[in-house]
Amino acid sequence: MIEARATVIAALRDSNSELDVLARVIRACVGLLPVDGASISVLSGPQERETLYASDVIAMKIENVQFDLGEGPCFEAFATRRPVLVPDLSQASVLAWPVFAAAIAALPIGAIFAFPLQAGAIGIGAIDLYRSRPGWLSADELAVALEVVDVVTAVLLGVLLGEFDGADGLRGVLSPGREQVHQATGMVLAALGISAEEALSRLRGYAFAMGRPLDEVAKDIVNRELSPLELRA
Amino acid sequence: MSGSAPSRTERESRLLHALVELADTLVDDYDVVDVLHRLVEHCVQLLDATVAGLMLSDQRGGLRVVAYSSAQTRTLELFQVQASEGPCYDCAHSGEAVLVADLSKEVQRWPRFAPLALAGGFASVHAVPMRLRRETIGTLNLFRHETGLLSDEDLLVVRTLADTATIGILQERAIRRGEVVTEQLQMALNSRVVIEQAKGVLAFAGNLDMEQAFHTLRGYARNGGRRLADVAREVVLGELRPEVVLSPRPTDL
Repeated sequence: MIEARATVIAALRDSNSELDVLARVIRACVGLLPVDGASISVLSGPQERETLYASDVIAMKIENVQFDLGEGPCFEAFATRRPVLVPDLSQASVLAWPVFAAAIAALPIGAIFAFPLQAGAIGIGAIDLYRSRPGWLSADELAVALEVVDVVTAVLLGVLLGEFDGADGLRGVLSPGREQVHQATGMVLAALGISAEEALSRLRGYAFAMGRPLDEVAKDIVNRELSPLELRA
Repeated sequence: MSGSAPSRTERESRLLHALVELADTLVDDYDVVDVLHRLVEHCVQLLDATVAGLMLSDQRGGLRVVAYSSAQTRTLELFQVQASEGPCYDCAHSGEAVLVADLSKEVQRWPRFAPLALAGGFASVHAVPMRLRRETIGTLNLFRHETGLLSDEDLLVVRTLADTATIGILQERAIRRGEVVTEQLQMALNSRVVIEQAKGVLAFAGNLDMEQAFHTLRGYARNGGRRLADVAREVVLGELRPEVVLSPRPTDL
């Protein structure tokens, strides 16, 4: 578990660009977990999505088929913002997603685990893992998968916000015990009339400019010691 | 929040009422976070506790608070620190109840948690596990101003409420499918984040503290028969204007 985290963090540190980061994190994920491939898709418009990275042609095909048809586990995770975990695809998919099931019948896909990438109401996309044989993940494997989801979310928020500055800076936004960061995000978005993504970006930008930890700045805002209006661009 | 202890019959009838109310909320499309909030509020009333809170496993080896009876920042911190130490943490890792009659004797055991709790005026704490088969999915935590432990009978009430919370999160179908536990837990954790974001919006727009913001949000959701997390999401996305949520309902005028 700790080893797995180190592998993921190392993948982050060694990367030159955001896309490179995602590719490395996903490859690390496929290496660490009993899955055969993975992909990341993000919202690129109101109803648009873009596959940023797919580890192989089957992972890419899983994405494309679902978004062409408008059904399937990854599509559903993407649209409903909740994990859709299907350890035995042959059992589940015919009933739930008949067109999708028919379209992938010839491919070696036993299980699909689709996790939304999100931070509260901020929707980013989804990460999809597939394995060629059916089967669920052990508790440790699940923990690794969820950490990968967290890291990718943080990287993508950094990418979307243009503020990626290494693993440590990103973990602060999404790790547990950061309720005040989310409350402050709401206060900033209400004060400035901007989106939640942008409010989070302003918070991080302000914290960075002041050389202070993000959660301290967030607490000051929540405790009314710092006005969210100070975060105007 | 703490009042005088209810008499036995009064409490039995309140417990029954609480369980019936919780069962009523567990219909098809119920609101997990709202159910858990009702539950911690029932704990405070039934057991004469000062503060109650519910923490769930994040399935990454950590715990996150999803419902707490007082939204004061200081209370929140009492739960946040237990992501790494404290009775909730120990309870979640052992799967056994952790009962502390006198927190002032436990400073060495929990060097961060105990002083924080004592500074908040809390003297005793009870943490009971929420268990599903061999897995502990979370803990229910009670803080009291008084030292001493609850009676066995009271403890049974706490355990019953913790079991009800477990059912509330997992639903019956979940008990048969392991991966649904993950779907439900992860969704509840993200709903909590959406609610925190929405509280921030309302706190700023209505010049409220976080506790008032939460009650306003929940009042609006209940009044419209809507899910708390759905209303919260609309507030954060700007689909529901804060003025609408903040404006008093006709019946309040």
